[in-house]
Amino acid sequence: MRVEFLGVSRDRAGVDEIDVEAETLGRLLMTLSARLPRLAELIVVDRISPHDAHAAVRGPRLHSSLAANLNGDRFISDPETPLGERDRVLILSADVGG
Amino acid sequence: MSTVSVPFGYHGMSLRIDVSTGGVERVPLPGTLLRRFIGGSGLGVRLLLDEGTAPLDALDPRAPLIFAFSPLVGSPLTTSAKFAVVSKSPLTDRINDSLASSGFAVQGKACGCDAMVIVGRAAEWSVLVIDDGSVRLEPAADCAGLTCGATDARLRSRLGSDFRIAAIGPGGENGVRFATISHDGRHAGRGGSGAVMGAKRLKAIAVRGTQRPEWADRQQVIAISQDLSHRSFGPATAKYRELGTATNLLTFNRLRALPTRNFQRGHFEDAGNLSVEQLTATRSKTRESCVTCTIGCEHIYGVGSGTVRVEYESLFALGSLCGIGDAEVVLRASQRCDELGIDTISAGGTIAFAMECVERGWLDEPWLAFGDGQALLRAIDLIGVRQGLGNLLAEGSRRAAAAIGHHSMAIAPQVKGLEIPGYEPRALQTMALGFAVGTRGADHNRSGAYEVDFSEKVDRRQVTLDAVRHAIDTEDRAALMDSLIICKFLRGVFEDFHEEAAAMVRSVTGWEVTARELRQTAARIVAAKQQFNRRAGWRPEEDTLPDRVLDTPLPDDPLATLSRERLAALVAEYHRQRGTADPRDVEG
Repeated sequence: MRVEFLGVSRDRAGVDEIDVEAETLGRLLMTLSARLPRLAELIVVDRISPHDAHAAVRGPRLHSSLAANLNGDRFISDPETPLGERDRVLILSADVGG
Repeated sequence: MSTVSVPFGYHGMSLRIDVSTGGVERVPLPGTLLRRFIGGSGLGVRLLLDEGTAPLDALDPRAPLIFAFSPLVGSPLTTSAKFAVVSKSPLTDRINDSLASSGFAVQGKACGCDAMVIVGRAAEWSVLVIDDGSVRLEPAADCAGLTCGATDARLRSRLGSDFRIAAIGPGGENGVRFATISHDGRHAGRGGSGAVMGAKRLKAIAVRGTQRPEWADRQQVIAISQDLSHRSFGPATAKYRELGTATNLLTFNRLRALPTRNFQRGHFEDAGNLSVEQLTATRSKTRESCVTCTIGCEHIYGVGSGTVRVEYESLFALGSLCGIGDAEVVLRASQRCDELGIDTISAGGTIAFAMECVERGWLDEPWLAFGDGQALLRAIDLIGVRQGLGNLLAEGSRRAAAAIGHHSMAIAPQVKGLEIPGYEPRALQTMALGFAVGTRGADHNRSGAYEVDFSEKVDRRQVTLDAVRHAIDTEDRAALMDSLIICKFLRGVFEDFHEEAAAMVRSVTGWEVTARELRQTAARIVAAKQQFNRRAGWRPEEDTLPDRVLDTPLPDDPLATLSRERLAALVAEYHRQRGTADPRDVEG
């Protein structure tokens, strides 16, 4: 799928858009976190047990200052949200207004 | 003789100044009133209601112009150096509360008052000088015709550099109905408060003071301030700090929500030319902050031989809305509006409306065409001096439509007379409701309902009645932030805004204020604005949107359709939840 970056996420990603293979939003964010280190600062992984690196994760999720939108239609945050090859995911500022 | 207890954080007093006579009254403000309306917009609206002048014309000399401060002004709480300007709007004939920031708030409050209520009309162009509570009028005929910035510079040179100046430009002098009041390059921008000041023949107000009220718990004020400042450096404000609001442009364009060519479309093909990325690559840029602000949202770009603060709303109104993708022209247009002291949103909205009227053959001004940058600049200059077509456009789009006739009212981009900001109502329908019911008309600062549209809470293109409670929440929160006053750019920093706001108010005033009380206060302030409007002649049918955006899909996005029936249902539900379905509910 294609990921488009807008605003702060574009600044952090250093590119306007990239192609990524991922079946869910959570996997997409993990991939972005690995490929784009400056953006990774804004991708949060909550571990069920914060002291155990092997503990199950809740997430990952975008920092509350960012939001994800699917195909320009609806906003998504559930890491289990399924994504398809032809989808376009927009990563934009949650605080969109002026 | 009993003494009146003054709450911490306040002076417990307003200055009521009649510029016709030079008379000054020091009017005590009871603690109960201050606690119920806090300051800023809330206090200003309450004082305006108490003047009993709602039925008067906004430009009548007896109609008050109120500058209201807040208990937080003068504290180190980040973004708190703000003031509200409250009056009846000459553009909408309804309530108007505009905010601006920085040193004028601090120095104005240090004059020993919580508000300044100005009535009357000076005999000649004057500057109202309030020097530590001592009030005088000085002639300012030599400033007539000067830009906002030149007026500020001249008066500080004359009076002293430690004065802070709020001034009008030629727009306010000439009664442009969307004229601003400028301070240090920032504007109390919407609704025409500059025209109200001009009607009083006040070119400027100069303030300087030394009086600072005590805080109830100084240690706690400083602790809260430090914590808030620390958090304000984080990701929640990165957008404003690193890019500025201008970055909204490409996002709105991508979502087909960028009003283009007078709301005919939601996507502008030349938006990329106006993007932050393009501006940054091609121009000099600096950043500035208001006094006490730790965010620093002001991104100032080079244009011509000067500079201009660039905001999303100016880029949209003078760019996509007028079909202009030449960044140099758009920035010059914004700069010219700032110099003349006119609101960029209403200027762009009214000019875009006129461009479409010309295109449809309803207005015989063939030089004024979408996409023509020189025509835009010419139109702005004509508005500032009210010459030729500018005399009509200086009235705003609603009055211009009434004069032009045909079916132009259907395409006038306004609600209650206030031009719609850069949020396409069909694509952002919770915001559409916020616009429709807004007490000062279509406004993104008095309703943050767009936040709901940019979330999972609603389907932004097909909202249901469930959106109403969210719209009310954002309207209430805006009213509270505008009364404390705290900048809305901090909103992402708070984990629980009402709890944190209550802690701020407690530390400054000593009142045992709770989050619950502040929620009630916010609703009370919105109700006070509605009460003013009813006294000024508000009718239920005003709570709507232009015909253009009703029943007709957005051409770029057929799913973005807002029927008249659905909007009416949303508005009815809003008033049901507010308890204002019956006019007597408010007036009582």
